[in-house]
Amino acid sequence: MKKRLGIISLFIMLFIAFITVWNFSYEQGREEAYIPLKGSSLTPIIPSETGVFRRAEFALDYANMPFDKEHERSLETYYDNRAFHGAPPSIPHPIVETQNIGGNSCLKCHENGGFVEKYNAYTPVVPHPELVNCKQCHVAQQNNTLFKSGDYLKVNAPSVGDNNVLITSPPVIPHQIQMHENCLSCHAGPSAPKEIRVTHPERINCRQCHVLNNKEIKDIGVFIKEIKNE
Amino acid sequence: MSATLTSRRIFIKKMAATAAMTAAMTMFPGIIFASEQLAGISEGNLDWKKGPCRFCGVGCGILVGVENGKAVAVKGDPNSSVNKGLLCVKGYHQTMCIQASDRLTHALVKKNGKYVKTPINEALDLVARKMKSTIEKHGKDSVAMYTSGQSTIPEGYVASKLMKGAIGTNNLDCNARLCMASAVTGFLTSFGADEPMGCYEDIDHADYFITWGNNMAEMHPVLFSRMLEQKNNRGAKIIDFATRTTRSSTASNRSILFEPQTDLAVANAICYEIINNGWVNTKFVEDHTTFSKGLTKMGYGLEDNYSFTDKPTKINFAEYKKFLEDYTPEKVEKYSKVSAKDIKYLASIYGNPNKKVVSYWCMGMNQHTRGTWMNNLVYNIHLLTGKISQPGNGPFSLTGQPSACGTAREVGTFTHKLPHGVVTNRKDREMAARIWKVPVERIPAKPTYHATEMFRAVDRGDIKFIWTQVTNPLVSLPKTKRYTAGMKKDSCFVVVSDVFPTPTSDVADVILPASWHIEKSGLYGNSERRTQYWDKMVEGPGDTTPDAWMTIEVAKRMGYGDLFPYSKENHAEEIYNEYRQFHEGAKHGMAPLEVLKKESGVIWPYVNGKSTQWRFNSKYDPACDNGKDFHFYGKPDGKAVIWQRPYEPAAEFPDKEYPFWLNTGRVIEHWHTGSMTRRIPVLHKAMPHAYVEFHPDDAKALSIRDGENVKVISRRGECVLPASINKRGLPTKGQVFVPFFDENMMINDVTLDAFCPISKEPDYKKCAVKIQKA
Amino acid sequence: MAIKSYLAHPHSGQKEKLINELLALKNCEIIPAENKDVIILVTDTESDSDDDILKQHIETFNSLKLLALVSGFNTPKNDL
Repeated sequence: MKKRLGIISLFIMLFIAFITVWNFSYEQGREEAYIPLKGSSLTPIIPSETGVFRRAEFALDYANMPFDKEHERSLETYYDNRAFHGAPPSIPHPIVETQNIGGNSCLKCHENGGFVEKYNAYTPVVPHPELVNCKQCHVAQQNNTLFKSGDYLKVNAPSVGDNNVLITSPPVIPHQIQMHENCLSCHAGPSAPKEIRVTHPERINCRQCHVLNNKEIKDIGVFIKEIKNE
Repeated sequence: MSATLTSRRIFIKKMAATAAMTAAMTMFPGIIFASEQLAGISEGNLDWKKGPCRFCGVGCGILVGVENGKAVAVKGDPNSSVNKGLLCVKGYHQTMCIQASDRLTHALVKKNGKYVKTPINEALDLVARKMKSTIEKHGKDSVAMYTSGQSTIPEGYVASKLMKGAIGTNNLDCNARLCMASAVTGFLTSFGADEPMGCYEDIDHADYFITWGNNMAEMHPVLFSRMLEQKNNRGAKIIDFATRTTRSSTASNRSILFEPQTDLAVANAICYEIINNGWVNTKFVEDHTTFSKGLTKMGYGLEDNYSFTDKPTKINFAEYKKFLEDYTPEKVEKYSKVSAKDIKYLASIYGNPNKKVVSYWCMGMNQHTRGTWMNNLVYNIHLLTGKISQPGNGPFSLTGQPSACGTAREVGTFTHKLPHGVVTNRKDREMAARIWKVPVERIPAKPTYHATEMFRAVDRGDIKFIWTQVTNPLVSLPKTKRYTAGMKKDSCFVVVSDVFPTPTSDVADVILPASWHIEKSGLYGNSERRTQYWDKMVEGPGDTTPDAWMTIEVAKRMGYGDLFPYSKENHAEEIYNEYRQFHEGAKHGMAPLEVLKKESGVIWPYVNGKSTQWRFNSKYDPACDNGKDFHFYGKPDGKAVIWQRPYEPAAEFPDKEYPFWLNTGRVIEHWHTGSMTRRIPVLHKAMPHAYVEFHPDDAKALSIRDGENVKVISRRGECVLPASINKRGLPTKGQVFVPFFDENMMINDVTLDAFCPISKEPDYKKCAVKIQKA
Repeated sequence: MAIKSYLAHPHSGQKEKLINELLALKNCEIIPAENKDVIILVTDTESDSDDDILKQHIETFNSLKLLALVSGFNTPKNDL
């Protein structure tokens, strides 16, 4: 009798344990399967600011790069393949249609630049390498004829050398910076047009001294306060 | 007319030549032009005059190009060790503001509600008469002066001498109360001596820069550039610890965000980790520190006539260690929103004996209802690890105003201060009485109103005459709504000295036209204890007069002429020579004027012809005389204090009704209330107006678009501003940020006038607001 | 009035000659570089047509290899 009771209670215990374990795992199994999303610990991105310091790690290299007078670009040629000031430049060299998305093709040369024997020129550096669908905005010019001729107006690009108000003050930024937040890509290195190549790329924090002066689209005039007589 | 035309033509020619030269230099690096031609043609007859920059506390050396008596150019002083020839955009354009068309050129006296142009002598007569009659009728404590961390050393000195020495009232305070008071009380409680022990040269030696709630890329740009240079050249690392992602964060190696007010807990958690991991520099702690605790649950100073005095009690290391057990990284991460991993990471940087660390902070820690505590806590970290007073190692409190150190703190234009020491100390009063040649009884021993309380007293009608100099309190005070209404009341006669009309001058009974910076001689003292002298460079327009001279003229008219025997031409020099007597000795000796005229600023203590770069370290500081490596001689026992300071919540925090934190601050283009920088066209165009910055998720939830006008509402007031999303900065979720430079969008109508009970410095960084579409 | 600045590049070995030729002109100011073959030239004329004439005249110099415009300023006449 004792023995039988013992066996029965053992089985009861096992049964209870089974029910508990089964219930627990059933409940667990009911929970939705998902991978917890964790915010990356990297610095959050501020679109209009983030470009300023991009490529800063190359600033010292830029400062030490020799000036290759033979192959310098000038502002004139810089604006040559832009329909107007601020327009995305067209692609001045032949490309094959399969070279389509930046990561695999355009960026290979245009992310960091460098000398290209074939074109006898330095590759311009793109200020926005995160946008990889390059041919969305930049297209090759296949031929030189026009469908119909027209009176195409061209916005004049801001001139160089007269953007500083005092003789010793740093020039303001005379162009909009949307998608051009990274100063060093156009203003430093051998592919920079000679007129706008900065003499001090190592200072990095460009907007410490150079500020945008056409934030508002209309001229806002100067700040004046009237003395109120009440 | 033809004269201006010619000079304009010459100027343009110079610009043209400079542009061509710049182009040539780009094309031919190392190109040389004959120096006489450079002098003769590119810069014409420009006469370069040396001085400090007018704006922030960094204290860059500038050279101002003067031609035919007009300032036409500014460049960095290559001989200044502060900035080594570099400036920021404000610095380069600073002199342009004096040409603004609304410059105050003559005294204006309000008669029947209209401002009437008045000769300066008559206006000063009126000010003196009014001040004197108010004292006769209502007593000494019914008149007050409110000055500035932008006042020159002589200006602060004569203000103190007039109020405390001549009239005999402590009703003198300054706007540095709004920015540096917590730093001062932090230094005094921990070390017994004000101002940083290190200097900017620390930047050249440090391995890590940890910035506490400090956007240096915009607020101290020249120092930040020096840090970036070290980052690129030597691989030094910048860690940005803040409540908002800023330009500084994007340039840093690491950005760590925390919930407002929890910096107190995180700092304690860092100390817990340092002790728990055995990273304490035991010998340093035993030899050079003691432990103390003070009162807690101090309140927030929201009620009028609030007063608080801390009662320090000595504790031992074991008690301190026990206290820190509430601040394990795991406990703190729950409310600070800083992961335990990040807290341990910060602690490991401070704890690594082979790495040199400098901590930088400015308004984030000072404008804090527990500002003094927060300063103490960062000192604790540096004291526990012994990383202090050595090249590349140390806590460094930055200042916002060009002479917050030199004038407000050293001359002591606070209610409790004297040029040497405090009014409560008999010896200090005796010293002041001796140098000022006044009876010692005349200097009252009890401090009266600090900044916020001073304007509360105006509102209550207790103060019946107030004179503000070099400051714009009705834009910069918290809860301006109350104080603007108070200043408008007829019970108080308001005198405002300024260079430009401001919302403060709008409520004045007399507006006095002040000389700007380079239109007078003066001295400033910057964050690294550097005193800089400049000579008058150009003539000011009309009746404009240096502030010091206006104070002296009023003092003379009130019958105190014998105490102010200075000459109009040379008063700055004469006053400085008198003032120097207060600081004689190895602990605070100031350089003689002849040295200051030659050098681009000199760091005090200046002993035996040498600057002391690192105080309290016997290797560098001749005032150390205890025979050990370090001597914290500010305290009687020669030891610095490690303070037990707990975490306490902010005075006001977001709730259901007001769900957002409001944080206020500055932008690189504008300096403080913008009265100068907004009159510089380049800067105004770069940053035309204030804005309210949102986290993109919050903006989405409220369906607010970039540029759309929204109303920021608190229990005190409201302000309408355009929304800014993904522009200059990125606040954390649940927080909005507004810069305070814009007098047309007065965010300080919204802020709270809670302050640190020890320092009496208001907290502009934390209050609760709700957002509505406007 | 028109004020313009140029970089004047002489043919090699003819820098001195170019300097002397430019010095002889009215309305011209020059800053020669000490160690490179380049001269900074600032012209200051009363009108655009005068400016054109001057520029054409300078461009006839045999010693001149290249004249590159850097910046130009034109102030309105009503200033007078």
